[in-house]
Amino acid sequence: MITFIQFLITGLRLGSVYALIALGYTMVYGIIKLINFAHGDFIMVGGYSLFFTIPVFMNLGLPGWLAVVPAIVICALVGMLVELLAYRPVRKTGNNLTCLITAIAMSFVLENLAQAIPAIGPDPKVPYTLFASTISIAGVSVSHATILTVAVSAVIMVALYFFTQKAKIGCAMRCVSEDKEAATLMGIDVNKAIIVTFGIGAGLAAVAALMYIAQYPKVFTTMGVTLGIYAFVAAVLGGIGSLPGAVLGGLVIGIVQSGANTYINSSMSDTFVYLILIVVLMLKPAGILGKNVGEKV
Amino acid sequence: MTKTDKRRYLLNFAAAVLVFAVTVVMGMTGGDAMKLSIAPSIWQCSYLIIMAASLNLVLGFLGQLSLGHCGFMAVGAYTSALLSLAFERAGFYTDKSGPAFLLVLVLSVLLAGIAAAVLGLVVGIPALRLKGDYLAIITLGFGMIIVNVINNLPFCGQQGLDQGSASSALYANGLAFSNDEKMSYLWVVGVVVILCMTSMFMFVRSKYGRAIRAIRDNEIAASASGINVSYFKVITFTISAFYAGITGALYSCCNAALATTSFAFTNGSILNSVFIVVMVVVGGMGSLTGSVIAAVLLFLLNYTIKNGGWVDLLPAFLQGVFTYPMLVYSIALIIVIMFRPRGIMGSREFALCDIPKWPGQFRSYLAARRAGREDRRKEAAHHG
Amino acid sequence: MKKNRLLALLLALCMAFSLAACGGSGTSGDTSDGESADGAADAGDAGESGSSDASITLGMIGPLTGSLAVYGTHVQRGVELAIEEINAAGGVTLSDGTYQLAVEARDDQGDSTECVNAMNSLISEGIGLVIGSATSGCTSAITSIANSEGVVLITPSGTADTLTTEMDYVFRTCFKDSFQGELAAQYAADEGYTKVGIVYCSADTYSAGLRDAFTAACADKGLEVVAEESVATMTEVDYTNQFNKMVSAGAELVFTPFYYDVMGPYLVPQARSAGFTGVLLGADGVDNTETTIPDGADLSVYNDVMFVNHYSTELATSDISVNFVASYEAKYGETPNNFDALGYDAVYVYKAAMEAAGSADAAAVQAALANQSVTYEVATGSFSFDDTGTPIKSGVLMGYSYTEGDEAVSKIAVKVLNVA
Repeated sequence: MITFIQFLITGLRLGSVYALIALGYTMVYGIIKLINFAHGDFIMVGGYSLFFTIPVFMNLGLPGWLAVVPAIVICALVGMLVELLAYRPVRKTGNNLTCLITAIAMSFVLENLAQAIPAIGPDPKVPYTLFASTISIAGVSVSHATILTVAVSAVIMVALYFFTQKAKIGCAMRCVSEDKEAATLMGIDVNKAIIVTFGIGAGLAAVAALMYIAQYPKVFTTMGVTLGIYAFVAAVLGGIGSLPGAVLGGLVIGIVQSGANTYINSSMSDTFVYLILIVVLMLKPAGILGKNVGEKV
Repeated sequence: MTKTDKRRYLLNFAAAVLVFAVTVVMGMTGGDAMKLSIAPSIWQCSYLIIMAASLNLVLGFLGQLSLGHCGFMAVGAYTSALLSLAFERAGFYTDKSGPAFLLVLVLSVLLAGIAAAVLGLVVGIPALRLKGDYLAIITLGFGMIIVNVINNLPFCGQQGLDQGSASSALYANGLAFSNDEKMSYLWVVGVVVILCMTSMFMFVRSKYGRAIRAIRDNEIAASASGINVSYFKVITFTISAFYAGITGALYSCCNAALATTSFAFTNGSILNSVFIVVMVVVGGMGSLTGSVIAAVLLFLLNYTIKNGGWVDLLPAFLQGVFTYPMLVYSIALIIVIMFRPRGIMGSREFALCDIPKWPGQFRSYLAARRAGREDRRKEAAHHG
Repeated sequence: MKKNRLLALLLALCMAFSLAACGGSGTSGDTSDGESADGAADAGDAGESGSSDASITLGMIGPLTGSLAVYGTHVQRGVELAIEEINAAGGVTLSDGTYQLAVEARDDQGDSTECVNAMNSLISEGIGLVIGSATSGCTSAITSIANSEGVVLITPSGTADTLTTEMDYVFRTCFKDSFQGELAAQYAADEGYTKVGIVYCSADTYSAGLRDAFTAACADKGLEVVAEESVATMTEVDYTNQFNKMVSAGAELVFTPFYYDVMGPYLVPQARSAGFTGVLLGADGVDNTETTIPDGADLSVYNDVMFVNHYSTELATSDISVNFVASYEAKYGETPNNFDALGYDAVYVYKAAMEAAGSADAAAVQAALANQSVTYEVATGSFSFDDTGTPIKSGVLMGYSYTEGDEAVSKIAVKVLNVA
């Protein structure tokens, strides 16, 4: 029983982080249908800005987690800059695949630029531990960070849901995701909607980075690669463009990974994660919560 | 067969023979530059070329994005390395020459292709029911699974076969050519590349090729015209995997050590599932010759950023940039994509017998540009 | 529209170049950067016109960018520090005069193909003495080239047993896996443990190689491996489930062949929170864990973390280790890790061999290195090469300790370990 609870909690711990990252991922993905390889690197940017700002905030006597505010700003700026400088010019002339390649290239650019900054360099950095205290559930210790991550994911999911449903720009974003041409005809500024999406998606990456380093306190320049892939898998597993789907997908991946570690073979956990993905997509080709849209002839 | 067709075939045949002859002759020459940089570069180009072209079958001609192509290459590489190692340990050949070794070489290359093709079939049947990004992620998943499983196979470990435990690298690789052997077996590259490319062209031009292009352009119309969509998709995917397996064998000829990270989704080098997609798009989707050109160009770009003497001639601050090869490589990619979004070749093919037409085409292109500029000037004058 | 595109591009390029350019010169230090650039220029001259130029260029290959960049850049720092010291002390004295040293560094990005290209390109520049690469996987791709082209290769940190066995021109300055694994098992046996566990990474050559060696040594010494768990990659972040199994299997000591960047933030705290209270025993990769302990973390969990290491400044018999640490800290402002020390040593081994041979010629240096009676006094202790080119040296058992009220975890040297 203890093992079972332990496995569940470890799964939640991993899964909640994936879920939070996948939320930002699915925002961007849902709107411009771009597999944003650079999303993982936004988390890296957030991680480093937190690494540098948390001590400053602590010295000022403020709570460390407030450092997430500048991190959100920095990430959002980087996200919008990437969209402005790279994705938008390419999107004008190219197709989905050229955008994809730009995203791949941007991801390498960000990673290498980060290493080129002297204060960052190739050495991994260990940020301040936030929310370190633990509570005990049924004899298993759970870190506050885990509970907070789940809570934050839920809050953000709900907030984003209302934002996209009620706010004017949120509605515009949904409109763009449905049909770009029609949105233009309706007088929606498509470019504005997209850049706001990038801002929000990248800003969420900063929040994800905060919760990530609270549980796994290490930042390094290539940290985004694995995280980005898992976020991608989570977003697709849950159903692309679906906010609850992203959270669900993230949690499923975390729990499957933890379950494979506990009950099957720990060095094969990747295999089981992708097997689950494949099985789910075979059964429900649009993901767990995705809508299966029939093809127009 | 029309007269131009006949000329076309003859010309291409002559070119193929010429390529083969060049590799044979180059293999017999000596010299440090040849041995240390040109021959290894040709080997590396060869597998990148076939890799990019084979993915183009799936991505450019069939229109399906696969992000796990290097997984098949890994299968080919490990199959050929382990097979040749087994023959070597069994005493079938001792040094890498003579008919016995040639037999092993041919066998390893073929079996590498077949093993990858079988896996391609197994992966393709379920995966190709999906489309677009869903297919992309499922192929990514299969690629990851392949790498993860190889990492955990005890006989793929350090010394290979049963002499070591599971780990990322396979040392003591049976095929692995030294620099000298890469020279003397340079003709192998010629033969393999010519055979693969010719057969790919034949496939693309056959009724199969027409069918898969029809599927790419409009799946529903294709299926309404009596094309068995699933069958053609799986067949193309399998064939593409077969070629990827062969490139795996070439890779294991090139490298004394195999590591699964070399076949990962992304890694430090330019050989990974993501960058093969890049090569296809940069070359032009649906253009096999474009893939060849892009593979060679991107290889040269990557190679010269790191090892080119010209980097030393740059101003100091640019040299600082060049200490991050992937940064330069990525920026170059973004520039190419911005200015040439349809790729170097678009969907056209490079054909030898078109070369005489080039000056004419160039002149008419210039004339069109001049006319356009003239028009604009007139328009401006008119408005002014 | 076209103008916009150009503008965007230009902006992006400016940003990228200015950042990278300032970073490029900033990271490797102003002086060394200039010197290495000069060295590269000298290399070409020396290669073509013999050794009329009073400079010898060593080649260096390692992952300087990419996900393994931390290993390669540290080797490079050690190499540059050693070269700086040697040059300041007058250079290398050969039979025909004294020479300054220089280094030509190449980036393999942790990929074996790139490593082969780098090796070939160094050879074509006429360089005969190479240090590299940082990982066993990459090194194994170039050992046969070194042998067939007659170029000496010293790997600072390639620990896989087989790297040096068949290749006369390949040496190393680090331990080999089987030796370290045996030392670790020996320690476990000496301390009276009977039930041990292993947590390792199956996809990493270093980790898996050590695990093999440790398992074999345990079988010899009558230790029972009660549980063995692995992770898929070295970037794995969660080890809780693995340690739950260690606890339920009743392991008293767990062997953890990981690097310090995993031990500090992830493995040790998670192992403790999973309820594992026994000894965590690692290998040389664990050194420097003190630099990766997060601020604000519970420091008591780092008690009973032990590891086998190359050297300890406390137990050192000569001043060389102490001096190395001091001059490294003076130059780079942080404590050196093992990659720094091993890269540093590789240069000094080359220097000793060149002076013994009286020549920088690869074949002569190889002959000097192959002389097993020579003892090298370097930062990681004193050693001589065995018949394969691997150092015969003793290990040091080190550990971390923390007592309530201390400001930080302290690193302690426990004892010198020798294979029985």
